[in-house]
Amino acid sequence: MAAVDGAATGVQDQQQQPPARAVERLNTAVQQQLNLESVRTRANSLYKAISRILEEFDAISRANAVPKWQDVVSQFSMVNLELFNIVEDIKNVSKSFVVHPRNVNAENATILPVMLSSKLLPEMEIDDNTKREQLLQSMQNMPVSAQIEKLKARIDMIGAACESAEKMIADTRKAYFGTRQGPTILPTIDKVQAAKIQEQENLLRSAVNHGEGLRISGDQRQITSTLPVHLVDVFAANDGPQNYSDASGMYLKNTPPLSSTSNNSQGNVLQASGAQLLGRSAASPSGATVNTSFDNTTASPLQYANSPRSSANMMNTPSPQQQSLQQLQQQQLQRQKMTPQHQQLLAQQQFRQSSMNMGQSQLAQLHDMQGQGQQKFQQMHGQQHMQFSQPLAAQQLQARQLASGAMHMNQNQMTQGNQLSRQLNQFSSPANNAMFNSAQTTPSQTISNVSAMMSSQPLFTRTQFGMSGGNRNLPSQNLSDQMFNMGAANSGGMMPIHQQQQHNSQGAFGNMQQSGQNLQPNMVQMQNTAQNHPNFQQSRPQNQQ
Amino acid sequence: MQHVEALEILLQGLCGVHRERLRIHELCLKSGPNLGVAASEVRLLCDLEQPEPTWTVRHIGGAMRGAGAEQIPVLVRTLNESKVSKNALRFFYSLGYKLDHELLRVGFAFHFQKGAQITVTVSSVNKMLKLHATDEAVPVTPGIQLVEVTAPASSENYTEVVVAVSSFCEYLAPLLHLSKPGVSTGVVPTAAAAAASLMSDGGGTTL
Repeated sequence: MAAVDGAATGVQDQQQQPPARAVERLNTAVQQQLNLESVRTRANSLYKAISRILEEFDAISRANAVPKWQDVVSQFSMVNLELFNIVEDIKNVSKSFVVHPRNVNAENATILPVMLSSKLLPEMEIDDNTKREQLLQSMQNMPVSAQIEKLKARIDMIGAACESAEKMIADTRKAYFGTRQGPTILPTIDKVQAAKIQEQENLLRSAVNHGEGLRISGDQRQITSTLPVHLVDVFAANDGPQNYSDASGMYLKNTPPLSSTSNNSQGNVLQASGAQLLGRSAASPSGATVNTSFDNTTASPLQYANSPRSSANMMNTPSPQQQSLQQLQQQQLQRQKMTPQHQQLLAQQQFRQSSMNMGQSQLAQLHDMQGQGQQKFQQMHGQQHMQFSQPLAAQQLQARQLASGAMHMNQNQMTQGNQLSRQLNQFSSPANNAMFNSAQTTPSQTISNVSAMMSSQPLFTRTQFGMSGGNRNLPSQNLSDQMFNMGAANSGGMMPIHQQQQHNSQGAFGNMQQSGQNLQPNMVQMQNTAQNHPNFQQSRPQNQQ
Repeated sequence: MQHVEALEILLQGLCGVHRERLRIHELCLKSGPNLGVAASEVRLLCDLEQPEPTWTVRHIGGAMRGAGAEQIPVLVRTLNESKVSKNALRFFYSLGYKLDHELLRVGFAFHFQKGAQITVTVSSVNKMLKLHATDEAVPVTPGIQLVEVTAPASSENYTEVVVAVSSFCEYLAPLLHLSKPGVSTGVVPTAAAAAASLMSDGGGTTL
């Protein structure tokens, strides 16, 4: 750069001086070799390009933005190319020019002598001397002419090596500038290898994102080797089956609680996993207390929608027969499916029942709703056509969220309601359809199953509480008003709706949500007064689609 | 493997933090048919690197869609994550979730702040031939590791986070190209040269 600047300076000097003295012209020989004007314009353009780049950098640094390296590098390469061209031109005639500084100021005062001196730095001089001595030492014994010749030979060799190196560098550089794509001497990967790598990459991506290639078939899913440390205690106190997507029917570490459920797995209609869960869930809510709660409940659950039943009516029309039937069935269920867990649940239910004072009629409504739910479920199941597609998906999600959300609530009431929700979820599995279908013939039995979940009033309230709590967290959905109205004002109605939804396995779960929201005021009412009739009546016909 | 070391050196230089070892057992659970119309998927991650294995549950939601999303070079999607106790697996099983697949990630990760809290993980994804046999895991793609760059964002600031992540990914350009999860990238032609240059000074300079 110094040479260029010097040359430019020299040129400019020469051109500015004409007015003062006689026009100085370049030596004609030099003039033939060097087109001064072009060099000057090139130098100017180079100067402008560099200053432009500096300005850009300045702007970037001020804006604190990230520079686009691609652009920056390309600009650099352009500058580099221009410089190269200029230097080449001047190199030919550099001998005829002398560099002298035009402007000495504080900045360059210290460095100028160094730049202009032709003497080597002391260290370099010492190196030079030592190398010279090394070189000549081998030849001290020979006559001078021989030394000279040997030295010449060496020089020639070195010169040849340097030339070839320079040539290669120049070629590469030209190729680089020519193509502007970077050095072409890259190790290219051949097509086959590239294809293999691509295939592996796709494999990896699909494995991580979707789990392709990682699924183990059913029979391989048995844990044969020892479990890793972090899973040991997860599976140790196992009280439930390990669920796999294909029901291999094999479960790990059968713990005692499983034994009771294994009886249920005899439910051949159901998948093994579903069966066990179902059995457990079906059994759990049934408790001794359930029987008592049914005493005053009305029976006619399967009456179709148009029967204008109000809560009052429900209270007035208990059917002890059905109730007793329900109780019997419940007891049978209990005996079959009692597990320690369920026993505990029952105990809880019993305990709680005493603490609540819900109207019996509400429970009756509950049962009615349950019956309706059953019917609806049956109908829908038969049709295998869900009315709500999108809302249902959301509902299901909400249902699950509800269950999980409810699980985290810290109230005793919640837990039972949660268990109910969970069990209700289990109920809604298609695998359970068979069970329900079989139960359809005995509606009361179905009701009893369902109502078994409901068991006692306190449970009822609790579940609602849980649901409402959970519902609060869920986004409200637009579901059929039918369900909504049904559950809306009726705390009693809530549970049936819950049931229905479960049975439908699509059942507007969102209704619960909405009804949950309405539940809050209703709960108060419930505890204090009788139920709200109008909603109940309205909902009835709708419910019976 | 050489490229992986080179990448590690590059990341160390870029991030300024030391790498952390990564060993995560990921169980992917899918909801059963009785839990809704649409299957949902939940991932349980167990960090085996800690002295006490810690569990995390993660739900990956839908990605941002639309024309605007396609212009963004980074995938933006909802993610819910929470620490859970080790009962999580049993809990989900009892909810009705079933194990769909599991994998083991072994590698290292860098967590640093550069415009956003960025996490870069370089890991070999291993599968287990036998259920839960994490000690006998084999790589899904031997020799090829997965590089993920993630950063948490909220709905307000996600554009800035996108910029931060994408600009960071540009730094890795000589070695590898990153793309959205659904798009494949192939090998970068300069990878070998870049890796060689990164490795050339004996494995990294001391910071």
